[in-house]
Formats: sequence, structure tokens, C-alpha cells
Amino acid sequence: MPHKQNTRRLAELSVLVAVSLIMFVIEMQLPPVVPVPGVKLGLANIVTVFAVYKYAPHEAILVFLARVLLGSLFAGNVQALIFSISGGALCLLGMIAISRITDKDMMIPASVIGAVLHNIGQTAAAVFVMNTTAVIAYLPYLLFAGCIAGAFTGACAYAVSKRIP
Amino acid sequence: MKRRLIIAVCIGLFVISGGLSLYFYLRPAGRVVEIISDGTTLYELDLDKEPDREITVEYKGRKNIIKIEKGDIYVSAADCPDHTCMKTGKLSQSGVPIVCLPNKLIIRYKEGADTDAA
Repeated sequence: MPHKQNTRRLAELSVLVAVSLIMFVIEMQLPPVVPVPGVKLGLANIVTVFAVYKYAPHEAILVFLARVLLGSLFAGNVQALIFSISGGALCLLGMIAISRITDKDMMIPASVIGAVLHNIGQTAAAVFVMNTTAVIAYLPYLLFAGCIAGAFTGACAYAVSKRIP
Repeated sequence: MKRRLIIAVCIGLFVISGGLSLYFYLRPAGRVVEIISDGTTLYELDLDKEPDREITVEYKGRKNIIKIEKGDIYVSAADCPDHTCMKTGKLSQSGVPIVCLPNKLIIRYKEGADTDAA
């Protein structure tokens, strides 16, 4: 019954988008941990990591795109979209590649590498937008914070995936 | 094998980025500061010689007000949505610049300020 399957999939993916948007909005309310632009926990990425391992690549990409587009509308900051998309796309591609060759128990390392790729994409976008390489000075701090945040979101996604196989 | 490689890459990234952060954080910087707006340097200021004053930088009608006070420089007001530049506070010696992404403003210590001062 392919029809029923499709509807079920659609509903599942929509719930994932909703959950990641809620986490995105909650995180916006939290004060920044460090005053470096671009550093944050990335709670919404828990859903991305989870989706990458549970669903097909194109489905994970759809969830990510819907989250980013709606999220920037909710935040009222469309300029931030450039950073989210460039970072997120790189992160997503990296994690999809790793998820193809590993099992679920590698979620934490995959998430760490994803976070690092996200930071690299963000910085590249910032260099392009700001028209200067000065922002690269932030990269070591971003990467270090990304390792910690990535391990955290990966651990959360792993915990969820054990309960929702 | 693949697992070990991936985990090793993660640990490597963590250690290297941590080391680099620490290195840049501890590295002393000169006292010459540059204010860059949309890729062009507007001001080059020697903080040791600058009197206390206010500088207003405009980008597409949005303003950042930069204050110099007793050898410190910081953004005192900005009409951007996130105010990250204000929260960064005074420009520290660590080499972390003050950045306002929406208004494309950067305040940083000039690279190699000691060598090309003459």
C-alpha cells in the first residue's frame, strides 16, 4: 500500500520539522553563551542528526530546508538565512556521507563533524558577505565550540533514536 | 577501521581547534585598531594616543556608535537586530574582533601593528 506509506512518511517528517522549529524558537530565547557571533548549541540540529540516520537523504534535506526557511521567518532575520543555509548544507552533506558508511552508534562523531562543517560554511559565508577575511579570526573558537555543541546534539539524537527506532 | 578513523578525526579537530583558540587568545596584539565597514578601512586609531570620543559609522542608514574611553574601544549602541557587537564589550587583546554582521562592521587590532608602525 504505497499510498498509506507515503502519507505516514509525510506526517512523520512534518512532526520532525515542527519539533525542530520549536527547539529553534526556544533556543532564540536563551541568552548567548559566549559573545562570538555564530556560537550556539544548535538544538534544532538534534532533529537533523536524527533524520539523517533514520530517513533517506532527500527526506533529511527536506526537513532541514523547511526548518531553515520557516525558522528565519520566525526569527524575523532573513539575513541570517545565508549563514544557516551555507553552514547547514555543508553540515548536512557531511553527515549524510558519514551516515551511509556507519551505524547509528556513530551519531555523536557524525554530529561533531557536521557541526565543524557548519562552522566552516558559516565562516565562508561571512567572508563573502562582509567582504573581508577578518572574520576568519573567529574560526578556531567556532570550531572548538562546534565540537562541544556537536557532541551534545549528537548525544541527544542518539538517546532519542534508541527510544524511537 | 572507519569508525576509528572518524573518531580520531573528531578528537583531532577538538584538540587542534582548542589549541589554536588558546594560542590566539593568549597572543598579545598591538594597540593599533582598525574600524572596517563593508570591506573598507574607515579609521586606524592608536588607542594609546586617542582622546575619549565617539565615532558613528553608518551602513545603509543603520548606525553603530563606537566609543573610545581611556584606551578601550567598544560599541555603545547599534540599531541591528542582534546587538552581538554591543554584547562583545570592550575589544580585548585576545585578537577576537568586534563584529556586527548585519551592519558589516568590524573593529579589530591591526595585524603586525608593531612592525609597520615606522
